[in-house]
Amino acid sequence: MLLKIENLTKNFGGLVAVHEVSLSIEEGEIVGLIGPNGAGKTTLMNLISGYYKCNAGKIEFDGVDITGAKPHKICHLGLGRTFQIPRPFQDLTALANVGVGVLCGKHRPHMSYGDGLLDASHCLEFVGLFGKRNTLARDLTLYELRALELARALATTPKLIMIDEVMAGLNPGEASRAINLVRRMIEEYHITIFWIEHVMKVIMEATERVIVLHYGEKIASGPPREIVHDPKIIEAYLGEKIA
Amino acid sequence: MRIEHKRARLVFHIRDLKLEWAIEPRYWRNPLLAVAGLALLPLVIMSKPDYLTLLTTANIYAAVAIPLAWQMAGIGRMNFGPQFFVGIGGFAAALLSIHLGWNPWQTLGIVILLGLAFGLILSPLTTIAKGLYFSLITLILPLIFLEFTYVYTDIFKGETGLSGIVPLVNLGRIRTNYLVSCYFSLGMTLLSLYIVDKVLRSRIGLYAAAINDDEEVAETCGLNINGWKILCFTITSMMIAVTGWFAAHYYGTFAGITYLQLPFMVKILLIVMIGGRGELYGSIVGAYFVAFLEQALTILGPVNYIVFPFVLLVMLSTLREGLYGLYRRHKYREYYPTMRVRKR
Amino acid sequence: MADTIQVILIYTFVLGSLYLLISLGFSVVCGVLRVFHMGYGVTFVVAVYCMWMLMKEFHFGLVPAVIGMFVIQTLFTLGIIYFPVVKRYIEQEELLLTSLILISLIVEEAANFFYPVTAGVNLPTTILPGAVKIGPASIPIQMLIASGVAILTTAVFVLFLLKTRRGLVIRAVSQDTESAELMGANVGRVYALAMVLSVIPPTICILIIAPVWSIEPSLGLPLMMTSILVAILGGLGNIRGSIMASYIVGFLSSAVAFSINPRMMGLATLITVFIVLIFRPEGIAKSESLW
Repeated sequence: MLLKIENLTKNFGGLVAVHEVSLSIEEGEIVGLIGPNGAGKTTLMNLISGYYKCNAGKIEFDGVDITGAKPHKICHLGLGRTFQIPRPFQDLTALANVGVGVLCGKHRPHMSYGDGLLDASHCLEFVGLFGKRNTLARDLTLYELRALELARALATTPKLIMIDEVMAGLNPGEASRAINLVRRMIEEYHITIFWIEHVMKVIMEATERVIVLHYGEKIASGPPREIVHDPKIIEAYLGEKIA
Repeated sequence: MRIEHKRARLVFHIRDLKLEWAIEPRYWRNPLLAVAGLALLPLVIMSKPDYLTLLTTANIYAAVAIPLAWQMAGIGRMNFGPQFFVGIGGFAAALLSIHLGWNPWQTLGIVILLGLAFGLILSPLTTIAKGLYFSLITLILPLIFLEFTYVYTDIFKGETGLSGIVPLVNLGRIRTNYLVSCYFSLGMTLLSLYIVDKVLRSRIGLYAAAINDDEEVAETCGLNINGWKILCFTITSMMIAVTGWFAAHYYGTFAGITYLQLPFMVKILLIVMIGGRGELYGSIVGAYFVAFLEQALTILGPVNYIVFPFVLLVMLSTLREGLYGLYRRHKYREYYPTMRVRKR
Repeated sequence: MADTIQVILIYTFVLGSLYLLISLGFSVVCGVLRVFHMGYGVTFVVAVYCMWMLMKEFHFGLVPAVIGMFVIQTLFTLGIIYFPVVKRYIEQEELLLTSLILISLIVEEAANFFYPVTAGVNLPTTILPGAVKIGPASIPIQMLIASGVAILTTAVFVLFLLKTRRGLVIRAVSQDTESAELMGANVGRVYALAMVLSVIPPTICILIIAPVWSIEPSLGLPLMMTSILVAILGGLGNIRGSIMASYIVGFLSSAVAFSINPRMMGLATLITVFIVLIFRPEGIAKSESLW
């Protein structure tokens, strides 16, 4: 069991964002996380990656208890994430951005600064950004920023990557390129993926298991085919009348 | 430890770390030319001691501004009170020298330790205080120190300053003293320039850039931001304290009023910004420019106090990239940092 | 002992009201424009020396000189501080702060050049001379009048902000600039109005206090430091917080001055603000807007 979450709760003042969510992810799985807007998906991801401190519950990664651990320790253990609105380092080039990921990730023996940047350029080439390696991150387009986020997360050699809505805002051509990119990532690196997504086509095709969140609670979990036809889920997304 | 030579760089293997040092002549040519020029300058103007003092002052300003280039990026906030550490270094050197009669080399050791200690004590501020509040705290710190010196006037001689500090070099003839001190200051500046340059070109410089840009994302990528911020602040504070030590021993007097108040802070800030907007080599250019301008304008008489800030204001608004930008504007520049006072 | 407490309380009131008047303008700028107005000390210097210049060189009477000085102040604030500097650099704070500090240095040195301390600058704005004895303390009547005027000015400001339409727009802009702009507020004009408003309290203050305190070109800096301290303590830009904070600072200064050591007044205030900045940087007031 790579990631195990037990009864995770997070309150913001009086608002309960995440309420007693428990889930587990095995190694090698591709798990999707869906739910209507405001269900608490990104909050859950922030809690797991250490960005927020949880009010109750336990998170265990690879056998190590990471509840309340600092984000950089969590990253060293092998948990990577991307951001829904890409947050690159604006003043650095794409190469330097991924370089931070390479050099700050797990401690790699015999890696000097130059070797690190070389490895970063390999990551960039994998996502297809090698031509833009010397462009400042503030000058990249949205698709390139998403690819940069993925490259930076990959550069820290994670065992589990949490991807946050990589399709939002992309036109269909870019969207299919993004899906292919994630597929290649799975095939070559054999990483476990925990994917938040709104685009149902992607969820149906790419994921093996889907977890559904609604108002901060986990209401269903299972293979995509079953989830899509479940009346409870349809009610959550579209309302009672249609279900 | 193993050392090998590959493709114009020396590679050091220490346990499982690998460090590289480039020795390509193309990379070193311009800096070596500049250093040679700076080194020959004192010999040229050797006949006029006031010019030598001017050069030494310029070197002192540069030595304060150089660690700031690392500090401002490495802690992600603007430090509005670097003169606090100048004060610490200077007062420590002055008091030890006057009351215990220690010579400069003994006081240097104590100043380094004190700089590290105070830097370490104040470093939690970099992790706790958010951007604007950190700048305000550092703005107030030197003023607290100054008020302290006024309250305990018998020790610190608040109004008049301490005098009678053991001079740095005493070789008999005054001319040689000035010349040797000038070279000493140049050596100190170039040493700190070399250290900070090496740091900024290595992975630590990349970490500093990441911290300056977006701390939280850097932490998600695996960077231990608190550790690196504390390290940066402590070491740069120590380097600035050493500058205070040099100023105390060179001038023979050290007064809090000169160094701990707002005008000195403004001068340092302007050197950093006019020189090159946080660029390292720009600090030297800015320091020499400000020192020479200050001296040159004294021919105008009392009006120079008005003209000096005015010229600096004009330069600040017209030169986008500072003076150093005039040299580098047509060259490819890898990192152009934004200085952040308030995080948005 | 009771005597000391009485003296401390009296001076808390007097000093607190004075500090309130001094820092009111700074809080307004800080609350509305959200910048640190490092050129605030310039207002005091320009007020004093313009008055002196108008009365000495151009032989104005007292009232025409006051009116002329207000006009010059407004022109100076809008023409030199607001439009060229603040408006251009409002996004790049380090340039903004440095430029404002440089402007204040230029103005101070200009004042020092034309009218140094030895020129004997004084303003004949004494309303009632002499001192009055309240309990064990003897206070110049001018300072009591200044305290009264301080409270009156603050009351006028607060009423303006709460009761008029312009005040409502200013409060809206100070809370959320973008939403206010969407609602149709002309943010540029509100900023300019706030800067002009911020000039009024320090001018009034220095006019009344001039006969009692010493006048020198470098009087801008200590007064600005006081306003910064009061603003930090009271929450940057919050008028309610500034009112509370100015009396707290007044209390601290007078308590330290009369019971411990007069030389430690500045040190005590600075250390207090330092501690407040570390443990509760938002200050006393809990909101981030003007009222």
